[in-house]
Amino acid sequence: MTVTWRLGLFAISLAVLVPALWHVAMALPAFGAPTEMYGAAVNAIIPAARHITNMVAAVNFDVRGFDTLGEECILVAAVTGTCVLLRGARGEDLTAEAGHLPDRPHVERSDAVVLVCRIGATVLLLFGVYMALHGTATPGGGFQGGVIAASSLMLIYLGEGYSPWRHVMHSWFLGALEGGGAFIFVAAAAIPLMLGYAVLQNILPYGQPKDLFAGGLMVVANFAVGLSVAGSFGQLMLEFMEETRSPEDDPIPDEED
Amino acid sequence: MSVFPWLVAAWLLGIGLYGIITSRHYVHLIGCLSVLQSGTYVLLLGIGYKWGAGPPIFYDHPAGTPAVDPIVQALVLTDIVVGAAVTALLLVIALQVHKRRGSLDPQELRPLRPDN
Repeated sequence: MTVTWRLGLFAISLAVLVPALWHVAMALPAFGAPTEMYGAAVNAIIPAARHITNMVAAVNFDVRGFDTLGEECILVAAVTGTCVLLRGARGEDLTAEAGHLPDRPHVERSDAVVLVCRIGATVLLLFGVYMALHGTATPGGGFQGGVIAASSLMLIYLGEGYSPWRHVMHSWFLGALEGGGAFIFVAAAAIPLMLGYAVLQNILPYGQPKDLFAGGLMVVANFAVGLSVAGSFGQLMLEFMEETRSPEDDPIPDEED
Repeated sequence: MSVFPWLVAAWLLGIGLYGIITSRHYVHLIGCLSVLQSGTYVLLLGIGYKWGAGPPIFYDHPAGTPAVDPIVQALVLTDIVVGAAVTALLLVIALQVHKRRGSLDPQELRPLRPDN
């Protein structure tokens, strides 16, 4: 099917889609005046009931915690799929060099770049950990903090280049972070179940409002998600950077398919 | 005026879809899929927005202050993270297709047959 044909089909479907979308858009509540009660109820009840101040974290790890468990599993499954597809016959060889186009000049990094990247990576990693740990009190949380912490690994790559970076990045460590975080989350969901409560029911003491460790089980789940997201994104970066190695040491496996 | 955010969401969906239809490269197609997906972010955040309300975080201001809907914000948050991971998975599949077939043009990639 050529692009012209597909565009023709798209035009026909638009003839149906546009009136339908317009109808739905006009029927939605006016912008800025939400009518649904769910979010309002969370804002009204949770600060006193759970002793935490960040309602988004409360929704993620308490009100809709089971939902987040599912999202966490999607994340782990997607990263596992990435690793399975990319690794193939590549192995864990540490001697490989980064791929290099022969006609492109090879410019060494200046010391200033290395220094800025080292300082920046440290600060970014600390900021990610801070963001993840304070998730139940102030804006932030495990998801955001994990991504920030993982992106500090990219700064290390920018500063050091492929080979030194590859020597400090250990796939088993990132995998342990990822799987360990997911395991802690599942345990936080399953232990209340085994004790005769509902899944993810908050059985720990809530603590004082505005405290770093207020929120009981939410703190554990938030921490677990932070570990898992940092490990997952670090693992993704590692897998993709492995693809930039010199092509000759990366043969495509001959499969009988 | 109040219908404008929904139209932005619909527009993002539309141009994402248009990009996927006319795409000549799988990496471009995956980017278009992300554009399409961001339409849902606009829609969700728009549904939860409330005029004159603050963030749903009661650290600096006491509980009970008007705040926007935290449910949709939590949905968008997890959506972004999972979307990034799924985008990575799609890019890996594109990479494997390129290794095996030498092309990423959806037009050139006929259905997989055992002989090629």
